[in-house]
Amino acid sequence: MTTSTLPFNDLERVYELLAEALDDLPEAQETPFLAQLALALAHRIPDLSEVEAAIREARRASEDAGK
Amino acid sequence: MRPAGRAESDSLYFDYPYFPFVRPPELDGETPRHRVAIVGAGPVGVTAALELARHGIDCVVLDDKATVNDGSRAICLSRHSLEILQQLGVDRRFVAKGLGWTRGRTYFRDREIYRFEMPHSDQERFLPMVNLQQQYIEQFLIERAMESERVTLRWQSAVSGVTQDADGVTLTVSTPEGDYALACDYLLAADGARSVVRKALGLALHGEAYEGRYVIADVRLKSDFPTERRAFFHSAALPEATILVHKQPDDIWRIDYQLGPDEDPEAAVREEAIRDRVGLIIREVMQERGDWELEWWSLYKAHTLALDDYRHGRVLFIGDSAHLVPIFGVRGLNNGLADAVNAGWKLAWVLQGRASARLLDSYTPERRGATLDVFANAGKSTRFMTPPSRGYRLMRDAALALALDNDYASPFADPRQVTPYTYAESPLTLADRDAFAAGPRPGAPLINRRLGDDDFLLDYLGTGFSLLLFGEASPELAAALGDHPELRVLHLGVEDSALGRALPGDAALFAAYGAEPGSAYLVRPDRHLVARWKRPTAADLNDALNTVLGDARP
Ligand SMILES: Cc1cc2nc3c(=O)[nH]c(=O)nc-3n(C[C@H](O)[C@H](O)[C@H](O)COP(=O)(O)OP(=O)(O)OC[C@H]3O[C@@H](n4cnc5c(N)ncnc54)[C@H](O)[C@@H]3O)c2cc1C
Repeated sequence: MTTSTLPFNDLERVYELLAEALDDLPEAQETPFLAQLALALAHRIPDLSEVEAAIREARRASEDAGK
Repeated sequence: MRPAGRAESDSLYFDYPYFPFVRPPELDGETPRHRVAIVGAGPVGVTAALELARHGIDCVVLDDKATVNDGSRAICLSRHSLEILQQLGVDRRFVAKGLGWTRGRTYFRDREIYRFEMPHSDQERFLPMVNLQQQYIEQFLIERAMESERVTLRWQSAVSGVTQDADGVTLTVSTPEGDYALACDYLLAADGARSVVRKALGLALHGEAYEGRYVIADVRLKSDFPTERRAFFHSAALPEATILVHKQPDDIWRIDYQLGPDEDPEAAVREEAIRDRVGLIIREVMQERGDWELEWWSLYKAHTLALDDYRHGRVLFIGDSAHLVPIFGVRGLNNGLADAVNAGWKLAWVLQGRASARLLDSYTPERRGATLDVFANAGKSTRFMTPPSRGYRLMRDAALALALDNDYASPFADPRQVTPYTYAESPLTLADRDAFAAGPRPGAPLINRRLGDDDFLLDYLGTGFSLLLFGEASPELAAALGDHPELRVLHLGVEDSALGRALPGDAALFAAYGAEPGSAYLVRPDRHLVARWKRPTAADLNDALNTVLGDARP
C-alpha cells in the first residue's frame, strides 16, 4: 500500500466536480461516464493492487447498500 | 403550529409568561432622548441590551408581542455562545436547565456509519453544545434584563416607521393606547427575518434559497437515549428523507425531516400528516416503543441570504434581520448572539467617547464576514443533507455507502458544526509580527484554560480590554501599563503582581498559548484577540489600542 492519498479537502472538491459533471449528462450516460472515469483514474495509479483494493471497496459498499 | 384545540401558547411543558403594556412617557407628551433603542426582544435583541448594560449604556427594547416566541425553534447553543452568556452573567441558568452534549452519530440505511466527537477537554468550562428550547433561552435573557436598571422593555409596542438623519433615529411606535414617536442616538434592528426596519430603510437581503424544505417537530417522549445529534439517511421507513433527531430538556425531542421535491408543503404540515410521519420515525427510525405526544411543529426552508451592509448610518442590523442561514450546523442563533455582542460593546465605547466613531466601521466586515463563512460551510452541508440535483444525490449516497467500511469517506458525514469566526481581516486586528507555535490567532476568540476547581481563565475577563501577561514583564512595559488604568491585566504564572491580577499559570498553560516569559495577548471586550507579542514594547501596546479605539481616546 502506498501512503500518499488525496487530502480530504481535495476529495471534497472531487465530490462537487463529479456532482456537477453528472448533472450535465443525460441520465442514460451516467453509468458509461462513471466506468470511463474509473478507467481514466486507474491509468493514473501505477500500482495494480491499489486499483484492485479500490474495486473491492466500491463493490463492498454496493453490496452493503443493496442489503 | 400546535395540535387542534391548543392555542399558540398552550405548551406541554412551558408556561408562557405574559408581559403587560406599560404606558411610556412619550404618550403623555414627554420627549426623552434615548441613547440606544432596540427593535425586537428576541434572543438577539435582548442579548444586545444586556451587553450595552454591561458597559453602562441605557437602552429601550421594543417588541410587538406580549410573551416569548411560540415554539422551540433554535435549540443548540454553542460553547462560544455560553461564554457570551457567562460575560452577561446569565450562564448558570442555561447550564442548569440545558442538556450538554459532545457526540453525534450518522446512520445510512439504518446502520451506524460514523460517530463524531466535538473538540472538548477538561480545560473548558462549557460543553461544546447545550440544547435548550428557544422559549427558555428568551425567558432567561428577558428575566435578566428585567433585573437591570439600564434596560427598559416595552412590550406590545410595534415599530411601524423609521427615519434617520445625521444626529439620530426616529421611530414610529404603535401601542394599544396609541402611537408615539421615539427618538434615539442609535438603533439596533433585531426584529428578525421579516424586519420592518430593513423595509423602512428600503434594504433587501441578497443570496439564494436552497432546494429542500424541512418539517421541524417537537414531541414529548420518555427515552434513555443520551443527548447526541443523530442523522439518518435512507432509513427503510422513509428512504427519501434525511432525518435529524435532538434531545431537549423536559423529555422533549426535536425531529427534523426533509420533504420530497414533489411534496406539497401545505399538505405536509397538516396535523394528520405530521402525526403519521412523526409516529413512523419514532417507531421505525428511532426504534422507540413508548407513548408520545405532539407538542409543536413548523416548516423550515434553507436560505443563505444577507444584507450587503449590516450598518446604515446610525442603524445596525443584528441577528435574523441581517442574515438567514440554513439550520444545519446550528448557526442562526449562535451567530446572532455574536452580532449582538459585537455591535453592543462597540456602540457603548463610541457613545461614551472612549473610541472614535470609526470603531463602528468594523461591524460589517467582522459580522458579515462571519455570515459569508457560514454560507461557505452551510452550502456544503445543505447540499449534503438535501441534495439539490441527481448528481449531488448520487455522490452523497456514494460517500455514505463508502463510509460504512472506509474511514476516508467518513468526514463527508461530519455535520460541520458552528465554530467561532476569526476576525483575521478586520481593521481592528493586528497580524502577528512574532512567530507563535500555538494559541489563538489575532482575531480569534481566547481559548479557555482550567486554573483550578470550578476556576477558569475566562472567568477573570472584565468588561473592557484585557491584557494576558505571561510571567515577568519587561520594566518598560510594566511602567507603560500605568498609563492604561482601564486595561485589566491578568498576570499569569506569578505569585503576586503589582501590575494586575496574579493568576496561576503552569508550563502547559504557557504552551497552549505558545507564550514565553514576557509574552502578552491583548483582548477585546468580546474575547477576540487584537494582537499578541512575544516581547511587547510600550509602543506596541499603544499602537494596538489606537488601532481599535482611534484618536478619540482620552
Ligand atoms: C419556525 C422557525 C423555526 C426555526 N428553527 C430553527 C432551528 O431549528 N434551529 C436554528 O438554529 N434556528 C431556527 N430558527 C431560527 C432562529 O429562531 C433565529 O435564528 C433566531 O430566533 C433569531 O433571533 P432574532 O432575535 O434575530 O430574531 P427573532 O427571534 O425573530 O426575534 C425578533 C423579535 O422582533 C419582534 N418584532 C418583529 N417585528 C417587530 C416590529 N415591527 N416591532 C416590534 N417588534 C418586532 C418579534 O416579535 C420578535 O420577538 C427558526 C426560526 C423559525 C421562525
